[in-house]
Amino acid sequence: MAITVATAMPTSFKVELLKGLHDLQNGADALKIALLKATASGSGTYGAASTNYSNVTGNSDETSGSGYSAGGNALTNVTPVAAGTTAVCDFSDTTWSSASFTSCGAMIYNTSNSNSACAVLSFSGDQTVSTGDFTIQFPAAGASTAIIRIA
Amino acid sequence: MISANGALQLGDITLASVSNRGFTPEELAERALDRIIHVGGNSHPLIQEQAEAFKDQIRGVLVEYMRQAVRSNHTTLANQFRDAGHPELVKLLEI
Repeated sequence: MAITVATAMPTSFKVELLKGLHDLQNGADALKIALLKATASGSGTYGAASTNYSNVTGNSDETSGSGYSAGGNALTNVTPVAAGTTAVCDFSDTTWSSASFTSCGAMIYNTSNSNSACAVLSFSGDQTVSTGDFTIQFPAAGASTAIIRIA
Repeated sequence: MISANGALQLGDITLASVSNRGFTPEELAERALDRIIHVGGNSHPLIQEQAEAFKDQIRGVLVEYMRQAVRSNHTTLANQFRDAGHPELVKLLEI
């Protein structure tokens, strides 16, 4: 088996947004980003059907290595704003420093809402860092680029 | 019938990693610029041109101040090494 990961917004997250279960303002809900293992080292499938960080831990698919702590990095939410007629959400970039691991994707999840999944990100293959820095750079908070947006 | 088009969408992330070292001021400045200045693909060419020129100007400022921050941090670390009784480690910072 191998990990299958596709960049997607979980369907459960869309429903939970309409239920008012996620508050993405700065200082509100605490979001984290966890990294998946190398493709060949895991077994789960991640994408629109993913619902919770427990999907990752349940399959033992979270990466490990120096510089990486289970659960991943905390994200700093930037309070959502309007870009034209589109509502956009942004996070500060996150870095694992002095790290050594391989990962094929990530899951953003909300620890303030029972670890429910907010986004699944594919790295389009395995990405490896060896005693260096590994950064996920979020896109500019524009109407056509922001990481999460409602058009 | 009333209808409206809309969508909940996900943007594209960018990965950056370096092995056996950290990021350089030049690499970090490029990432910072992507966050500071974003020009939509549908913008007027003149606007895009001006934005790119401004970006080039800001790039130099960012790199210079980041280098200064690195040098300043080295000074702090050098003093901490000396205070801890390891002056020989200061040489590691002289790269």
